[in-house]
Amino acid sequence: MPTTLKNEAAIVGIGETEYSKNSGRSELALASEAVAAAIRDAGLSPSDIDGMTTFTMDTSDEIEVARAVGIKDLTFFSRVPHGGGAAIGVMHQAVMAVATGSAKAVVVYRALNGRSGARYSEGVSGGPTTSDLIHWSWYMPSGLMTPASWVAMFTQRYMHLTGCTSADLAEICLAQREHAVKNPRAFFYERPLTFEEHQSARPIVEPLRLYDCCQETDGGAACVVVSPEWAKDLPNKPAVIRAVAQGAAGNQESMTSFYRPEIAEIPSMDIVARQCWEISGLRPDDIDCAVIYDAFSSIVLWQLESFGFCKKGEARDFIQDGALRLGGRLPTNTHGGQLSEAYIHGMNGVNEGVRLIRGTSTSQPEKNEHVVVTAGVGIPTSAMILGQS
Amino acid sequence: MAISGKEREAFEKKLEAYVGLDIGVEDHSRNPINAAMIRQWCEAMGDENPIYLDSEVASGSAHGGIVAPPAMLQAWILGGVAMAAGEDDPADKQRELHRLFDAHGFTGVVATNTEQEYLRYLQPGDTVRARTVIESISEQKATGLGIGYFINTRSVFKDQNDDEVGSLTFRVLKFEGAEVPAEASGDSGEGSPAGPPQRIKPALAHDNAWWWDVIETGELPIQRCAECGVLRHPPRPMCGECQSTDWDFIRSTGEGEVVSFVVIHYPEVPGYTYPLVVAVVELSEGERFVGNVVDVDPGDVSIGMAVQASIELVDDELKLPVFRPVSV
Amino acid sequence: MGETRRFAEVGVGDALPALPIELTTSLIVAGAVASQDYTPVHHDKKAAQAAGMQDVFMNILTTNGLVSRFVTDWAGPDARVTHLSVKLGTPNLPGDTMTLTGSVREKDDAAEAVVVDVTVKNAWGNHVTGSVKVILAAGD
Repeated sequence: MPTTLKNEAAIVGIGETEYSKNSGRSELALASEAVAAAIRDAGLSPSDIDGMTTFTMDTSDEIEVARAVGIKDLTFFSRVPHGGGAAIGVMHQAVMAVATGSAKAVVVYRALNGRSGARYSEGVSGGPTTSDLIHWSWYMPSGLMTPASWVAMFTQRYMHLTGCTSADLAEICLAQREHAVKNPRAFFYERPLTFEEHQSARPIVEPLRLYDCCQETDGGAACVVVSPEWAKDLPNKPAVIRAVAQGAAGNQESMTSFYRPEIAEIPSMDIVARQCWEISGLRPDDIDCAVIYDAFSSIVLWQLESFGFCKKGEARDFIQDGALRLGGRLPTNTHGGQLSEAYIHGMNGVNEGVRLIRGTSTSQPEKNEHVVVTAGVGIPTSAMILGQS
Repeated sequence: MAISGKEREAFEKKLEAYVGLDIGVEDHSRNPINAAMIRQWCEAMGDENPIYLDSEVASGSAHGGIVAPPAMLQAWILGGVAMAAGEDDPADKQRELHRLFDAHGFTGVVATNTEQEYLRYLQPGDTVRARTVIESISEQKATGLGIGYFINTRSVFKDQNDDEVGSLTFRVLKFEGAEVPAEASGDSGEGSPAGPPQRIKPALAHDNAWWWDVIETGELPIQRCAECGVLRHPPRPMCGECQSTDWDFIRSTGEGEVVSFVVIHYPEVPGYTYPLVVAVVELSEGERFVGNVVDVDPGDVSIGMAVQASIELVDDELKLPVFRPVSV
Repeated sequence: MGETRRFAEVGVGDALPALPIELTTSLIVAGAVASQDYTPVHHDKKAAQAAGMQDVFMNILTTNGLVSRFVTDWAGPDARVTHLSVKLGTPNLPGDTMTLTGSVREKDDAAEAVVVDVTVKNAWGNHVTGSVKVILAAGD
């Protein structure tokens, strides 16, 4: 029995649909296509898969996807809550299943009609009285009801304490757009962004402007996780999972943890980062590039601090001089991220992490020994470190 | 679900045939531009600009005499009472195009944009006629109202000398789903429930309803553990310090300080006024509360600002604590 | 109706005086009739309700007329409107108030014209947003 999750599993296949504003088909269709593509990419057949995991927010049941794709008997299935915070939580489930033998090959997926269907930007509102709705009732009557508004509240405080400005946020958006311009999957493929455009864009929820906010996308993404031993026999270069972890710090509310002594930080990701270093035995210096969850530009800064790439409050200095761009200290979100590629709740980021290890990103950094991949923050969250076999 | 695959391809092929077509119907002014209709328009609009009605002032103005309000351009060619019957001219290609959309499930229609250009102001005695061309049909789009297509039409208005006097472009969305009347709605996609819009109400249940009951009395309550005395907000059934389920509450002074705040611009939800300031406020008792800061320019709100709560009606029905800056 | 406003005295960012207008059935019907628009939903409450609305609602021509008036009230009798462009939003219904606000977005020196951005709000949100280009009187 393993004592940690280090090197116990590898990602051997990735797949996705096209990313668009109007898929013209059901979320189940998107999930099935992404899953089938990931299995194909892994060099496996659907009947090899015996485990499945996704987000609680996904509308496509594991068993429905399994039937659609032709996956047969399952020995493991599970779901992870809290929206984008689940992005690597699902990987955590897959790795645990493979490491313990609960399943041999787990497919992880997420698919949504995030633009043509239910849009998160429209916010939470009425509906049946669930514990969720009672929670939001502390905020909705005052008009605080969208992810942008919740994240802006933390961002304002962070800017106040660190001196970070909207111009610093622009650097994150510009670096990622530079990557998206080269990525044919990206919504902003061949469409650059200038500093002036970022600064003059309309405010959504101050201090966040339009390009500080991710897109809303229709699409699906999936990957296949197996043991490193099996991975050796498969066609693709495996992305070995060096560490994977979840975290929810004390006094956590889903996205509105306004009641901690200091709200200019994200202690849940601190917990995740600490575990990632402990499990992998690696240090920030060992990481060559990163996929950092970016539903909003500001949340990238906090994660750089959580993982110790810089000190608390100093991320704005770290990202100067192109640290997040190709050739910089930590090329980040080389697919364009959710700001500029697509918003698939972080699953498209997992696939980009795998491409970075394989050396097939459209913005491929030279060094790619280790890659950090993270999930949504402000919520209970998760992250992993990928490495070469 | 919108049509897809081969069916969509065939449909879009048919649409293409309409792009660039003159709709085949010419509209013309049934009366020359005249003072009576201008007066009726100005009275309805409350427009007291003398260039439309007062020949003396108009003659002395840059316009050199009485002119018609520019926004009346289309009014000169509309059909009047006959429109109430709602009958289509069978020769009208625009109507034919709408019927084609209807037949493929895109039964909704909503006007989204209009643009007018006025080359000159019309004068009494002028006549106008307009021809309309279907300028473009968009690719299929996902909109707030559903999947659909935008149709752009452009009408060019000419006078009795065949000189162009202006143009009108009109953009409508034909979308899948419920019938929504033209002009009824754009972004919101909602009909219009009775009465003015209200704020979103809190959902009430066992652990929070008491708090809202106290708010109704004009007090701002903070839950307190009856065992160890620790305060907690938002309310929950157990004390995280001593695990006691006994509790009462204290009445907050409402004095506090802004810990952080946001200024919401988008989306605009009916019932709220934008830009909308929402703050996390630390009350003097040490607990935090999230609420609006009112009667202040959003640019003047700052972290650390002293504020005072008061319990007020924020719409016709809901009482809520709101904060105002304390002048020092 | 204000004084004639001269091109030279207007600056980018200048705000126009806000114009609140009470929405009555009379205004909505009078506007529809004055624009020769007899589409039933603009004068017949039953027809409007059959179309899913609670009451008659303002037609686009009336909105355009009021937006144009809002700008020329400010610009004065010598002004000449050349462009009017609006994006349509929430309907104008009786019992509500529409409030027109605007500010000068740009100055076209060659044409001695200004572009005014206009927002018209009602209780449900933006009734329309748009812009009006108007040639102002020359000189100072």
